[in-house]
Amino acid sequence: MRRIDCHMHVRGAGVDWSWDHNDRIIEAADALGIDQLVVSIPVMRGMPDHATVRSCNDAVIASMQQYPGRILGYCYVVPGQKESQDEISRCLDAGMIGIKLYNQYKIWDPAVHPVLERAIAEAVPVLEHAGHPTTREFRDEQPNISDASDFVRAATLYPECMLIEGHIGGGGDWEWSIKQLREAPSVYLDTSGSIIDDGMVEMCVRELGADRLLFATDMTMEGGVGKILGAELTRSQREKIFCKNFQAILDRRTDSRAGATS
Amino acid sequence: MTAPLLDINTWVGAWPFRQLRDASVTGLLKRMDKHGIERAVVGSLTGILYRNAHPANEELSRQVRRHLDRFVPFALVNPLDPSWKTDLQRCADDLGFLGARLVPQYHEYRLTDPAVLDVVDAIAERGWCIQVPQRIEDRRSRHPWDQARDLAPVEFEEALAARPKVGWMFLNTLGLDGARLPEKARYVVDISRMTSVLQRNMQAFLDSAGQDRLAFGTGMAWNMPEPALLKLDLLDRPKKMKDGIAWRNAAKLLKLP
Repeated sequence: MRRIDCHMHVRGAGVDWSWDHNDRIIEAADALGIDQLVVSIPVMRGMPDHATVRSCNDAVIASMQQYPGRILGYCYVVPGQKESQDEISRCLDAGMIGIKLYNQYKIWDPAVHPVLERAIAEAVPVLEHAGHPTTREFRDEQPNISDASDFVRAATLYPECMLIEGHIGGGGDWEWSIKQLREAPSVYLDTSGSIIDDGMVEMCVRELGADRLLFATDMTMEGGVGKILGAELTRSQREKIFCKNFQAILDRRTDSRAGATS
Repeated sequence: MTAPLLDINTWVGAWPFRQLRDASVTGLLKRMDKHGIERAVVGSLTGILYRNAHPANEELSRQVRRHLDRFVPFALVNPLDPSWKTDLQRCADDLGFLGARLVPQYHEYRLTDPAVLDVVDAIAERGWCIQVPQRIEDRRSRHPWDQARDLAPVEFEEALAARPKVGWMFLNTLGLDGARLPEKARYVVDISRMTSVLQRNMQAFLDSAGQDRLAFGTGMAWNMPEPALLKLDLLDRPKKMKDGIAWRNAAKLLKLP
């Protein structure tokens, strides 16, 4: 059964995370049977300038070239920057397969609309950092973090957009998030994050269906794989989550481009 | 394959802010059987938020008494409870407990408070180990009423320095620097929040603290056990060292065969 990790990061552009070389990612993926990892380097605090955004994407492109076929890339952009559309073009031309947003804007914010419209036009997914923090401390740290209700709002505006809510296991109150996301059937949810609470994946499947869940680690690699292996799922559900659902997302762009050239 | 597994981090009971599945002794046994976990140190989750933890210990004692071949029950002790001494004696003499768990973040003290060290000493005089979790629930997802702090690494360092001869077991920890922990102290740290790939903080801890300082722990029934099983399986260290994590390191402190 193939495994595509749809929410991962690489070191580069001055962001070292906590490992010494990106070879460690490949070693870990080999050990855990992960075939492909879709990565980005977002800026996690503040409003970066375009040069910083570009350097993050350059490092992702370098990793794609270093590990061809194993590492796929998301183009990180800050909505509202005048260079965003050109940056998306540059990154998609370099082979990236989607767009990554962090916490600079709520996902429904009008500043984000051109990015979502571009994603629809290009038939690529938009993965956004997300969470529903339960404490003031965390809300104050990330005032523009999108939670599931923000995804519902964006999906109402753009139901044809392939929105991915990031890390159900790293974004606060996961029960609240799952229940809220029932109202947005077009939104996918990734399973990453360091929280490995028993019953979390099963509740996702029960409330949202296995077709909307995407396997991911977001750097919690044993936890990410272990929570899918250990969840009470059918083989078919597990396969959808591990690879088929994200492969279908990737195929949308392939099919779209094939249609455009035929 | 590693040696038989001794899980030093399991909990049963209820938590007021989230329904836990199969968080009974029976449920835990089923999972242990499924994953080849031979024995487990178990404590009461329910009692953490009781003003009087002792009834939770009594309840746990009733549940595990027919399964003492599989469980090592640890009593929840609140050093600020005026009857801690009597409760501790009952836990040992009447209820069959074999160790103690402290939760300073919920009972609002530091491990090195003088009055707390008296309790630590009383527990240790019975030959018991003491377990301390760095946290119960992740700070990002806690209920707003759950204000308990994560214990800082320095609190563990100070506890070990103050009472190096006590057998300590630290649970759910991340961020402890093995080089800062007293070399001669008696302790293990469970692997439930560590990693053996990518960040490789299990390897870093083994290198800095010593080869016998990690112990297998899942965090069941709160956590799924599979991540901890994967970590141990994927650890790129000799079998003897992995066997130590699986059983021997904790068993030695617990005086198990």
